[in-house]
Amino acid sequence: MKPNARELWWALAAIVVITVIYLLVVRQLQAVPAASGLFGHGIGVLGFVLMLATETLYSLRKRSRRARWGRPASWLRFHIFTGLVGPYMVLLHSSWKFNGLAGLVMLMTIVVVISGFIGRYIYTAVPRNADGLMVEAADLQAEIAAAEADLQRALIGQPAAARVVAGQLAAPVVTNGGSAMLVLGRPILRWRQRQQWRSALHQLDPAAKGQARQMEALVARRQALQRQAASLASARRLLGVWHSVHIPLGMALFTAAFIHIVAALYFATLLH
Amino acid sequence: MKSRRLGCLTATGLLAAALTLLLVLGVFLLRGGRMWSPGPLHAQTSGVELGGIASHADTGGDCAACHTAPWNATTMAERCLDCHTATAADLADPMSLHGALQSQGAAMDCRQCHTEHQGAAANLTSADMDTFSHDLVGYSLAGHGLRADGSPFTCTDCHTESLARFDVVTCEDCHRRDDAIFMQAHVADFGTDCLGCHDGIDSYSRANFDHSRLVFPLTGKHTDATCSGCHLNSRTITDLQAAPTGCVACHAQDDAHEGQFGQDCTACHNTNDWREATFDHGQTAFPLTGRHDGVDCVECHVDRVFQSTPSDCAACHVEPAFHLAAFGAAACSDCHTTSAWQPARFDWPHTFPLNHGDSGVVACQTCHPVQVQDYTCYGCHEHQPDEIAEEHLDEGISDFQDCVSCHPTGQEDEAEGGNRGDD
Repeated sequence: MKPNARELWWALAAIVVITVIYLLVVRQLQAVPAASGLFGHGIGVLGFVLMLATETLYSLRKRSRRARWGRPASWLRFHIFTGLVGPYMVLLHSSWKFNGLAGLVMLMTIVVVISGFIGRYIYTAVPRNADGLMVEAADLQAEIAAAEADLQRALIGQPAAARVVAGQLAAPVVTNGGSAMLVLGRPILRWRQRQQWRSALHQLDPAAKGQARQMEALVARRQALQRQAASLASARRLLGVWHSVHIPLGMALFTAAFIHIVAALYFATLLH
Repeated sequence: MKSRRLGCLTATGLLAAALTLLLVLGVFLLRGGRMWSPGPLHAQTSGVELGGIASHADTGGDCAACHTAPWNATTMAERCLDCHTATAADLADPMSLHGALQSQGAAMDCRQCHTEHQGAAANLTSADMDTFSHDLVGYSLAGHGLRADGSPFTCTDCHTESLARFDVVTCEDCHRRDDAIFMQAHVADFGTDCLGCHDGIDSYSRANFDHSRLVFPLTGKHTDATCSGCHLNSRTITDLQAAPTGCVACHAQDDAHEGQFGQDCTACHNTNDWREATFDHGQTAFPLTGRHDGVDCVECHVDRVFQSTPSDCAACHVEPAFHLAAFGAAACSDCHTTSAWQPARFDWPHTFPLNHGDSGVVACQTCHPVQVQDYTCYGCHEHQPDEIAEEHLDEGISDFQDCVSCHPTGQEDEAEGGNRGDD
């Protein structure tokens, strides 16, 4: 498991547990739990609380001056976890009926979750330090220089490998789709550079190939930094665009959800 | 300086929230309450209009037609009854389903059984056995969990026409399919008003019904009896409970005593067998003692006539010739016991002293060999007929056969004069 994907696995585990509980309740009731029933209400309230936590806690932590309660990166993981588990519970609360405002709220929830996935993808394109804070271009260039120096030290006395590495590093980071594709098409770029590396290795004699393989990790790091440097501006711009879409979507969702809650209290919960 | 407000409170975010609010408000103004509806209302109609509409769907988006505000004094159930006036009338009739529920104090309202917003064609009555307490209408479903094939019962198995109605013929039809022979006999014995006795708890099966909890436990041969053998013409629980518990109610024709011993059969008999009778004759005016104990009943109670049986000895015992009429009104028991005729005790005055000689008390037959009215002094010590005759003839006494006329105490010297032959 990648360390930066841990929250996704936790969310998956929570969703599996919730699903098992839900199925047990279905079996017990011999029916889908009604949204207005004890279980339906309970899972809906809990899911909404998690969604509310998703919306507020990470944002509060980012804007905290003292920043003593957890690292922003940890809060982001919690934000993603609650942002997946909360909507799933709300989905189960719906009792698979999507009428009226309740159905609209559910639809908006799904849209916001998908938007969240996109945002996280863009977020990971922006280089960050251990605290999750954005790395500036100058810092990135310094990192590239350090990686370059490490590589050059490793290449001393290995002329065959040096040729291949030099050729790889000389290749420019380009995409057909412009700078945005540097962010969105990262897997394709990585795959293409890996193929080029393998192709270059293939032309070497066994001794030179052995030397070049020892450089592989350094080259990969140098290329990754290169890509990040090339896409830094695009990634930041895309993240800004995404924020400008995601936040209104979230606000619309929570406004509709609050209206739904008030209506449910009036028409169902406080019914007499 | 970095803003400390929540990230979501951006201009676009607030604008989106405001637009959403306006959108919801607009839809509400244009389409009424439909947007709050969790599902379509029931749209099927029987053609009869109630409250001016033919189906709930005809209310359109007017939520307030049924829903009341939390702070409103009117309840939703009252809104239901405003239109469903027939149901309102039912509530006052305990014989109807709704009335039965009401009279049993069921804390229920309309929504517990009649669920809306399930779709235009959905069934409005969704009471099922898991949520509806059928006991409230006086009939438990405890005995109707599963059909004969093991599948669960549904409401319509019994309520074939309407959930609010039940035709008792359904019981007979269904159970006749299970066991036609039993049902034939059962209906013949107890009639067709099943609900008169059965409350659904299956109390009356051999497996579940414990007669020993009642005032009349079934013991002995009663355990083999059929229900209808005792509960004749029973049609209700009250009839069943009114079954007589006295023996003669069922066994009058079995009474060999023809009523002579009254109706408390259990004083002598048990439920195992009539022949295991244990009669305590000691409780009667004639306790059986001595040789009487062990005598067959019929030796005294001729022709099994038990009452007015004479208790005097002569009724059974003929007086012996030995003392025939000798003791007049004296009772046998004055001298005899029931253990044996002999020895008998004689405590009466004897005209002749019994101790006149040296032989002590002698047997009656010593002096009265044939009858107590006759006596003889012969056969005892020196009283030999030839010697007596010779001795008296020597004295000139010819009439000497009645010894006590001259010897009233048996002493030889007390005779004076005597009946001499020459007098």
